Amino acid sequence: MLRTDRLTLAYGSSDVVHELSLAIPTGEISCLVGPNGSGKSTLLKGLAGLIAPRQGEVLLEEQPLSLWSRNELALRLAMLPQKPIVPEGILVKDLVALGRFPHRKWWQRDGREDREACQQAMYMTGVEALAERPVASLSGGQQQRVWIAMALAQQTDILLLDEPTTYLDWGYQLEVLELLVELNKSRGLTVIMSLHDLNQAAQFADHVMVLENGQIEAAGTPGQVITETLLAQVFRVRGVVSLNAEGRPFCMGHGTSDPDRPCRA
Amino acid sequence: MLANTRELHKKPLLQRTTILFWLGCGLIFLTPWLGLQFGATDLSWQQVLAGLLGEGSSHVERVVMDLRLPRTLIGLVIGIHFALSGWLLQLLTRNPLAEAGILGISGGASLVAVAAFVVGDWIQSGDNPYGGIPFALQYLPLLAMLGGLLAALTVYGLSLRKGGLSPVKLTLTGAVLAGMLHALTTGGLAFWGHAHTELVAQWLAGSLYGTTWAHLEALLPWTALGMIGVLILLRPLSAMQLEDEQARSLGLNLNRWRAIALVVAALMAASAVGIVGPVGFIGLLVPHISRRLAGSGLLVQFLMCTALGATLAVVADTLGRTIFAPYELPVGVVSAALGVPFFLYLLSRQP
Repeated sequence: MLRTDRLTLAYGSSDVVHELSLAIPTGEISCLVGPNGSGKSTLLKGLAGLIAPRQGEVLLEEQPLSLWSRNELALRLAMLPQKPIVPEGILVKDLVALGRFPHRKWWQRDGREDREACQQAMYMTGVEALAERPVASLSGGQQQRVWIAMALAQQTDILLLDEPTTYLDWGYQLEVLELLVELNKSRGLTVIMSLHDLNQAAQFADHVMVLENGQIEAAGTPGQVITETLLAQVFRVRGVVSLNAEGRPFCMGHGTSDPDRPCRA
Repeated sequence: MLANTRELHKKPLLQRTTILFWLGCGLIFLTPWLGLQFGATDLSWQQVLAGLLGEGSSHVERVVMDLRLPRTLIGLVIGIHFALSGWLLQLLTRNPLAEAGILGISGGASLVAVAAFVVGDWIQSGDNPYGGIPFALQYLPLLAMLGGLLAALTVYGLSLRKGGLSPVKLTLTGAVLAGMLHALTTGGLAFWGHAHTELVAQWLAGSLYGTTWAHLEALLPWTALGMIGVLILLRPLSAMQLEDEQARSLGLNLNRWRAIALVVAALMAASAVGIVGPVGFIGLLVPHISRRLAGSGLLVQFLMCTALGATLAVVADTLGRTIFAPYELPVGVVSAALGVPFFLYLLSRQP
């Protein structure tokens, strides 16, 4: 299980995440939502062990991440940043194969097990037909699926994604989210992602955490968390929350809740 | 339709790699022959063969065995050194413009080498204006390597922020340091102001003139070390193609491997600079050409770099010796003249 204990993350002198304690439910899809600058990306990097905490701990299996070796951690936890740069000229199969990196020592070459893991990852994300194509020649949606394939080839039980739907067309956004749900159902993958769209969080998440100014404002099922009060307080939106056919909340914004309030920097 | 395009993508790539491989092997064995046969006096291939087997006339034997063979082999080796060093630096900085010159490694090596000339001259100054030169040449590769390594470590140290090293900062710091080192070298030469600055100037232009078996012996251990280093680095380098955070989340100890790659690159470039002076374009162009020809597989890129770097240096030196014979064009100048048009052609073909 992944959890934080009074975690403080900072760049320079200013705290971005302050004394935050939260637990990520294993085998579920958790969504981080919150306004811009609320610390979503920073928290995700902290959870992935990419930023050393200023205070407090991130714990995996009750062990602080600082006690895990980089390689052991990479076998448990994969991270997909918001807009990864595609290495020049790289082919889909070669990029996916990088996901096998933690499974091999530097003197070892990829073996049968590695090739099978890559094949499976490409099959699950539907990019096997693109295997021989340069990643740079693909559409945004296809590229995102290739990145997810690489993370899957890593064969971890926890996958962290920073806004996996940003920069994608609507159809591709849903495609990526449906893929994550499918992986969660079929493989028990624990998914932690930040999302901009509250309705997508409501539709696809089992667990929603609302972040504001580096603090958790609310956490729970979408139905518990996504309310009209939350829209007004955290997102400055005057709106209506109704339930859709599946019993999940659905938000409709009518305007800003207090037009006089100046925008946050 | 889809299956069809897949086949199209698949087949030429496989065939191409095989073709490229045999082409590379052929080139690396055939081009040295050109270096042996052509020069101030052209020999026939029978004469070259006789010279190699020790059955030729004493003149032919001297030209082939004492002059051209060591020079050609050193050409092969320095081509490999500069090409692999540039390839490593471009990978680890993720900057297509990176090479030993831009990162200050050649500059550090040059400065120390020129300082060695000056000090050598000062120690053994006498009636003979060239008195200090042999002394300096003897220690040049080692000294230059120390200089290059020192420059590389300075750049690394200066651009290391707490927690990580940004490739952009590494490149910028290198460029600034390279400028400074170049100024110091030029200043030192002006200050020295002796008759034999000419020799140093030729060396600084990147020339294989006057290289001997001793130079080759001084260079080969570093070639072996560098090649082994690159083979060890292949897997970490594959992850280093990604952004820092992604590479780290794949389990790569980024700072450690980046430092090792930098040291290997600096050793290869600086040891070559010690023998032939700074040759810039091989390190810049050959990795690009190799990447375009070889695709994204790092092992194929590595082999391609080795073959192309060696070939380009030898062909450039042979042409440099023959075009304006008996005058010589430095290998750095000719390799640029040869490599740039080919590079531009490849760029124009890119979709």
